[in-house]
This record gives sequence, C-alpha cells and structure tokens, in this order.
Amino acid sequence: MNFLTLFARNLRTGPQTEAFPLGPAFTPEKLRGRIVFNAENCEGCRICERVCPAGAIKFAKSPDGMTFDCWHNTCVFCGNCEFYCPTDAIHQTNDWNLAHVQADKFAMVEHGLIPNMKCSDCGATALNTAPMVKNVKPPLSEAELGEVRSRCPKCRAKYLKNRKVPS
Amino acid sequence: MSHDHTPTVAPTYSIPVGPLHVALEEPMYFKIDVEGETVKHVGINAGHAHRGIEYLTTKRTIYQNVVLTERICSLCSNSHPQTFAMAAEKIAGIEVPERGIYLRVVADELKRIASHIFNVALLVHLTGYETYFMHMMQVREICQDTLESVFGNRQDIGAMCIGGVRYDVDEKSIAYILAQLARIEPEVRDFIKTFKSNGTILRRTKDVGVLTHANAITCGVVGPVARGSGIDYDVRREATYAAYDRLPLMVHTQTDGDVWSRAMVRLEETITSIDLVRVCLRDLPGGDAHIHDRPDIPPGQAIARTEAPRGEVFYYLRTNESAQPERVKWRVPTYMNWDALRFMLQDAKVADIAIIVNSIDPCLSCTER
Ligand code: SF4
Ligand code: SF4
Repeated sequence: MNFLTLFARNLRTGPQTEAFPLGPAFTPEKLRGRIVFNAENCEGCRICERVCPAGAIKFAKSPDGMTFDCWHNTCVFCGNCEFYCPTDAIHQTNDWNLAHVQADKFAMVEHGLIPNMKCSDCGATALNTAPMVKNVKPPLSEAELGEVRSRCPKCRAKYLKNRKVPS
Repeated sequence: MSHDHTPTVAPTYSIPVGPLHVALEEPMYFKIDVEGETVKHVGINAGHAHRGIEYLTTKRTIYQNVVLTERICSLCSNSHPQTFAMAAEKIAGIEVPERGIYLRVVADELKRIASHIFNVALLVHLTGYETYFMHMMQVREICQDTLESVFGNRQDIGAMCIGGVRYDVDEKSIAYILAQLARIEPEVRDFIKTFKSNGTILRRTKDVGVLTHANAITCGVVGPVARGSGIDYDVRREATYAAYDRLPLMVHTQTDGDVWSRAMVRLEETITSIDLVRVCLRDLPGGDAHIHDRPDIPPGQAIARTEAPRGEVFYYLRTNESAQPERVKWRVPTYMNWDALRFMLQDAKVADIAIIVNSIDPCLSCTER
C-alpha cells in the first residue's frame, strides 16, 4: 500500500487509538487481572502459595483461623495460582484497574479468612476448609459434603473411611 | 604566521552508539571507528542489563520457573518457558497430551507473528517511512488483541506449563482466532508486496549490512539472520518438537544476506506461521491439553531447544533432590547474531547503523539476563 492510499484510509477511519480514559478500553473476558479469593471453596492446601513465583500469596495462622493475603503489588498476574488450585477458590478477574495513589499501596491486598470451627464430632477446634474429596468415589452428596465439612481433619478421615458406599 | 595545513577534523574518529540505542531501546554499546562516513571497526560492549535471572531460577521451584523464564524476554516470551518445560519433561519422562502439543504450536506461532511484524515495522520506522510503520503496528495490534483475548495477556501469554499448556480453545475461540488471522494475512501479503516495490524501503535495505553465507557460518548465526544468508536451518525442522513433524512447515531462505533479505524471511515466515496455526486448529485432537498432576522432577539433566522468533533457543537444566533446579543455563539467538554485526557493519554508512543493528532483531534482555 502506498502512502497516499494509507493517508486516504486513515482520513476515512479516523484515529485507531483507544479513547481511554475518556472511553472504555478494550478488555477481553479472559484478561488475567486482579485476584479474587473465595474462602468458602478453599481446601487450605496452600498449593497456590507454593506455585506463586512472586511470593505474593501468604497464608498465616490467626486466632480466628487461617488468613489469606494476596499482595497485588507483588503479584505478576501469571495465573499459576488459579491453574494449580484444585478447587476454584482463587481466580483472576479481568479487572486491570489497579493504579492507585502511593498512600494506598498497602491496601492493594486481596484478603480472606478460613475461619475456625468446632468439629461436630470430637469438638476440637479446626479450620472450616472445603473438604478434599475430589477423588472420592462415588462422589459425595450435598448432605454428606456438609457432614464432612463440619468435622476436623481426623474426624473427616474417619467419616470417609466408615462411609457406607451404596452398591 | 604559521602555515599549518593539518585538517581540523581528523579523517578517522570513533563514535559511541549506545548504550541506549535508537533501534533497540535496550542497552548495548558500540564503539564505532569511522573514516569519514564509513564504518571501519566495531567494538561491541555488552553486559549493561544483567538481572541475575539464571541465579534466580535456582532459588525457585521448577513450577515457579515456568513463569520466571517467561519474563526473560518479552517477544520470545513463549519460547523460553516452552524450552524450559521441554527440558523438565525430558528429565521426568512426562508425556505431553496430543492436544497440548498442538496448542503449544498455536501459542508459539501466534507469538512469532507478533514478533516478526514488530521487527519489520521497526525497520520501516528506521527508514523514515512513519506512515507505514504505524500501519504495520496497527496490523500487529490485531495479533496482540488475539493474544490478549485467548491467553489473557498481550506479552506474557502464560500458555506453557510442565506437561502441556495452561489454556484451551473452544469452538468460539477457534472461530475468533481464524477470523483474526483472516484479517492479518492479506495485510502481511501487502507488506511483502510493498517490500518488493517501495523505493524508500528498497533503497535503504538492499545491499545494506551484508552478511555473506561464509561469514554467517563463521559466526554461527541462527534464525532469520541465518536464513537471510542462505543457511537452510530451522530447529522446528532439524530437531523437531511439539507437533511440527506433522505440520506443513516451510523454511524460507534468501541468498543476499542483506537487511532486506532478513526482513523478507521474517515476512514470509509470518505467512507460514498463519498457515501453521490454521492447520493446528483444523487438526486439533481432543482430550486434555495438559497433565493433571504436578509431578516432582527427579534428579537429572537435560537439554532442549526450540526455534524462537529470533532463532534457536537452547536450554540446559540440571535438577537434584530439591524442588529447585541446581542449574539452568540458556543460550539465546542474539548471542551468536550480534557477533555477526562486526561483518554487517564493516564499511557500512554511519546512517545505516541503526537499520543494520535492528536487522538482527537483537534482544538484550535475554542475552544478558
Ligand atoms: S486457594 Fe486453592 S490452591 Fe490455594 S490453598 Fe485454597 S484450595 Fe489450595
Ligand atoms: S497470579 Fe501468579 S503472581 Fe499472582 S498470586 Fe497468582 S501465582 Fe502469584
């Protein structure tokens, strides 16, 4: 294409740049942006913490349970955590709006808590994590899942071992 | 009154080019001795951008390193983790599922399209044809949008994982990729036509920065630089990997070894890449795109190599009992290619230095890591 053709075409089509910030910017659905953590689905396996290349994810014990923190200023948005998470407890949204003022830099954190609970069987204090039952066959029913979830790790194992498998 | 006839300007002097070079926006320093307008000697001084990444890899686990190696270089950002993963898979004897190896080719070739168009666009920018440069970058933007929509990021597409690929495509994204390629292809064919006919481009690139076949072999150049000098070598064919042995891969060569030839090789390869993606998406086998666990990589050592957009990327990986590798070492194409600049710049005009340096598609971030 020669210069004049291009020139004519550009006159016709107008600027190619996006109007942002005056208009919306192109944001595909799959864009790997801000991390969102859903404590309800978390098994507490801490795989995400281990595979995170940036060390952005930190789990810590607290009096109320186990806290989850993902530091967005450390995160490189690689998606390893989401990919290796056995449940869908952690995922990347397509929100890329992470610019912030200096004063907010320590607030750019996704925070979550896996709360403590009392085991419905032995009464011990345990974390209310989602049960690791992906490979249990046949799959647990909703009611059974609730039963397992309400127990501490030891009692969960006992429950699954004694589970009557309908034949 | 003295009658001193010594000219006030010495006929030979040396000029510094860099370390922040016009063509690269990357740090590299050339000490160029010129005679009038003509380059007589080139001293290359590298090492301004050492980031210690090889050391860092030994402080991270194999699975974390897939992400770290992706950040070595932005334009070859898919080739590094792929080669690293191939080496780790070799040590652990991991077999990548069929669908995974086809999707690896799709990711690789989409990145190649973006990289090649980028380099040739920069060449056009350096010849001063800004309108066409903008136009080429706009076409590349179609490819960047595709990467962003399919993988979630424009540069670090995060496609690779140990044992396959992290992404998958469905009917909708296949149709989307094909539609985007259909937009890119006629434009790239038009680039080729323009490169063969446009006076501005021809005058600045033909017979400029010539690397003869013999000198190319002496320097051991790789990638489009080698193929532009008539060396018919492409790792995708010579040491085939992923699904390349089943694909209609065409290796393009040119004989003149000048800046134009290298650009033409890149443009023709872009067309081939488009074809390869199409064939992959057509023949895409079903099943899983990756293995489903995270196996430990046993102690061992392996090498792997792939054809990155700039040429052969070579990885050496040694593992031990720990989760971190004991040693990771890579050799990147620019390392051999910049050596050839000594021949290309010999007797070149000062005004052509930027064009010639750009023609090896240098990447310092990976060479100096
Ligand atoms: S978020 Fe996922 S990977 Fe992380 S601890 Fe919870 S279940 Fe495990
Ligand atoms: S996206 Fe990557 S860097 Fe960010 S928290 Fe997840 S694993 Fe860590």
